[in-house]
Amino acid sequence: MFLSVRLPVLACLGAVLVLGAAAPAQAQKAETPVLVTSCGQSPGPIKLTVYMKRLQIAHDLKTDATAKDLGAKPYKTLIVVTGSSLKGMGAAGVSIDDEVKRVGALIDEARKKGITIVGAHVEGMERRAKSAAPGDNSDEISIDAVCPKSNFLIVRKDGDEDGRFTTLSKKHNIPVVFFQKNTEIQDVLKNVFGS
Amino acid sequence: MTTRLLAQKIVVAALGLALFVSAGISFHRSRNLAEPVVLGPGVTSVKKLGEYFAAIRGTVNDCNLYFMEGREPGGTMLVLGGSHAEEPAGRLAAWLFVENGTVEKGRVIVALSANRSASTMTRLGGAYPPDFTIDTPSGPRMFRMGDRWTNPLDQWPDPEVFIHYPSGQELAYVDIRNLNRTWPGRPNGTFTEKTAFAFMEMIRREKVDVAIDLHEAELQYPVISTIVTHQRGQELATMVSMMLTDNEDFKIGTEFSPLTLHGLSHREIGDHSPAISLLFEAPEPFLDATRGITSREQLLTGKDEFVVKAGRHGLLFEEIDEKGWPIAVRVGRHTSSILQVAETWSEDNPAKPLAISGVPRYAEVIEKGVGAFLQDVTKAGKDRLAYE
Repeated sequence: MFLSVRLPVLACLGAVLVLGAAAPAQAQKAETPVLVTSCGQSPGPIKLTVYMKRLQIAHDLKTDATAKDLGAKPYKTLIVVTGSSLKGMGAAGVSIDDEVKRVGALIDEARKKGITIVGAHVEGMERRAKSAAPGDNSDEISIDAVCPKSNFLIVRKDGDEDGRFTTLSKKHNIPVVFFQKNTEIQDVLKNVFGS
Repeated sequence: MTTRLLAQKIVVAALGLALFVSAGISFHRSRNLAEPVVLGPGVTSVKKLGEYFAAIRGTVNDCNLYFMEGREPGGTMLVLGGSHAEEPAGRLAAWLFVENGTVEKGRVIVALSANRSASTMTRLGGAYPPDFTIDTPSGPRMFRMGDRWTNPLDQWPDPEVFIHYPSGQELAYVDIRNLNRTWPGRPNGTFTEKTAFAFMEMIRREKVDVAIDLHEAELQYPVISTIVTHQRGQELATMVSMMLTDNEDFKIGTEFSPLTLHGLSHREIGDHSPAISLLFEAPEPFLDATRGITSREQLLTGKDEFVVKAGRHGLLFEEIDEKGWPIAVRVGRHTSSILQVAETWSEDNPAKPLAISGVPRYAEVIEKGVGAFLQDVTKAGKDRLAYE
């Protein structure tokens, strides 16, 4: 009896301790069609679209999407995947400054149109400044350019090893949906885009 | 000339001759070291690269191609080990497929020495060990430690600028001998370009669906612990990366092959054939410029205090600690990654499945060691032995 009363209380307390630092993440919802893009030309967006394809969530992937692209379809959601790839940006012939400018304008336009903005970071600490070239902080610049302007965040938990996204969530009162394993992206997308 | 001066000259000349002879013996031994390959249960035939392009026939790069035909039809996967022969985990991982693997569905083609010439020498002036040994239950197995580039004995001299064919892109002069800068090659090009062309002919004629090029990278190189993929393989590579990171005890990312960076397998195989081209990079501290003693032990354990120190200064793109990056870890990453590609490919292409068994995955290679999966050469019949 003692245990049966105490365990749920302890569990709730534990949940508050774990999730309390971030803004509430329950029942974050978004609608289709979705425009998926990158801020930093990392391979991250494919991690989402590979599951979106399997789940038949209507979406377009355009890694260099601009504000104009939002007029191509009645998009209801914009997902911007943060984290940068020097190789990707080099191949695209852009710098992180170009990316911030492009995505900034894209987000501004999305806001005007009432489109839900989702910031995502799906590659863990490998796509944080820890793994960048010495002196390169383009991963962090990308995160700062997108996350504070988002309606909610989707983040792989190990990318929050240093509490970066928890802090952003708390500071800007933006809910964050954490997932542990890559395969859980599927469940996150189901929950977000499910009816 | 005094007698004393004459004696001094004779001594110096004798010492020079001794060095010349001992170095010559070492170079000759290294170039001609025959590496036995026990043909595992899955190897159904061994062909030669020269069968696909006559100019390679009978040359040092007329390497073996191990065909593993499945009992049931399916897709075709090519595994290239030894594109860069100084990256031994790639060769050894491919070796484990040949000596252990069985293909139930589809077909696997394996090259252990894609640039065989590069495996016959080590880095000039690099003080690399000429070979290394893997202990197995049936005794030690010796392997050539090679280089990144084709042996100058087989292709020389280098130009001042290497202009890649067909893109016209200017690359480092020495990379004219780098197999992974000369794809897709050309029939009337340099020896290395001809080798790449021969592989392209094989890939086209054998209707390869997925080509995997196995590599290792220094920890100071940003493209490490990753799968580099042609744009047609982005979803495959991403799913493989996610499955491996979730289900096995190592992390591997993805990088997309830049459209305008030419000569590399992940770009050119995909551009010049219907195959999806992937390149795997595992960490190899031996290649780091800040390494300490360039020894066999360092090569196999991946332990290096100077590379660890570089990490403390934030100069690395991959983690390293006192445990290093042992060869079993590096080989296991590759075997698991190849197997995962086959599994994910099969899910996405049920009409062209690839089913492979008998090859150890990451955890098993680490637990038992690479040597546990190298078969007993003395027990293999002559018809089940090949040499690299």
